[in-house]
Amino acid sequence: MLQRVHSSYISRIAAVISVIMLTFLTANAQQGRKKVVMTVTPDTIPLFRGIAVSTDLVGPAQLAFGSYGQYQAAMRVNLKDKWFPIIELGIGKANAEDVTTKLTYKSTAPYGRIGMDWNLSKNKHDIYRVYGGFRYGYTSFKYDVNSPGIVDPIWGDKTDFNAKDVSCTYHWLEAVFTIDAKIFGPVRMGWSMRYKRRLFHTHGDIGEAWYVPGYGKSGNSRLGGEFNITFEL
Amino acid sequence: MKKNRGWDLTLSLYILVTIFIVAGCSSIDCPLNNRVYAKYKLAGNIKTLADSLTLSANLGDGNDSVIINKSVNTDSFQLPMSYQRNEDVFFMEIKNATSAQFDTIKVTKTNTPHFEAVDCNPAIFHVVTGVTYTKNRIDTIVINNPNVTYDATKSTFLIHFKNSSSN
Repeated sequence: MLQRVHSSYISRIAAVISVIMLTFLTANAQQGRKKVVMTVTPDTIPLFRGIAVSTDLVGPAQLAFGSYGQYQAAMRVNLKDKWFPIIELGIGKANAEDVTTKLTYKSTAPYGRIGMDWNLSKNKHDIYRVYGGFRYGYTSFKYDVNSPGIVDPIWGDKTDFNAKDVSCTYHWLEAVFTIDAKIFGPVRMGWSMRYKRRLFHTHGDIGEAWYVPGYGKSGNSRLGGEFNITFEL
Repeated sequence: MKKNRGWDLTLSLYILVTIFIVAGCSSIDCPLNNRVYAKYKLAGNIKTLADSLTLSANLGDGNDSVIINKSVNTDSFQLPMSYQRNEDVFFMEIKNATSAQFDTIKVTKTNTPHFEAVDCNPAIFHVVTGVTYTKNRIDTIVINNPNVTYDATKSTFLIHFKNSSSN
């Protein structure tokens, strides 16, 4: 009986000690942490946050070092740092010649794209931005193909192979992924990657256009890119 | 926090540079089959010609150019078309151990230049408007698909031969 009373006391003392220790440890742990107060502040910035104009450097580089490219300018509206309606206008040029086939291809025409970017960054007001978006593009253009003529391998006749002012139209869609950052003052710089899909097109009897202003080569390559310098007005 | 952002931008830059390098690779988009030939497929009772078949093109200057030389067990054959003439004439010789028979095929057509790309050889496409032939060994020639392009899967003509004994 006495032994049972002793063990009861011991167990009670042990329980009290463990409760005290637990309280002490918990208090210490809470002292180590900062108190985080979650307050949701409403985004009070205005809808219209400004206009930005930009130009692409990849197109002129393509023209300087290759046989086709484009000059392009864009205007973008900033709505709440979240939505960015954008219009892109440019002039595409091609002046290509192949030494093997002896064919030359020339075309110069304007093009336009219209679309929207969404700021995908968690912090919308950060100086870095990641955008996802789309563009609808359209161009109406003419191209010339010239060659010294081709010789029939069987009959031996020489045949002219020239076409002038072949009229074409092209409609396409682009999925856009862009990153850019504020460099200093109103200047931003960033990369833009494009995945393009042709929607509708028309072409002349001689065949499809080799280069489409604003779209690029009309073959299988559907990827494109831009390096933009942007000035926030 | 700053470290993570820098790492994100570096990773994004690597991904973009890789994509641009891949996208920037030069490619030639010429069709694999770049021959423009009219395809003649044997039809009717004789779907394979056991006798030897020789076909030559009349060059129009008194000379011929042999296109197919002594082909045996022929079930189809392909003939070129001239780039700018309105009519092509082919001479056909079908020969067996005992005899030889001759026919002439005349194909009328239109010629349209076809441009694929600067780095692809130019081609001439055709639309067949008519076909006439002698009937020594040939029974009939039917226009199956008048468009002669890179597409060699569709037969331009279905050609029916008579039996060698029926002549």
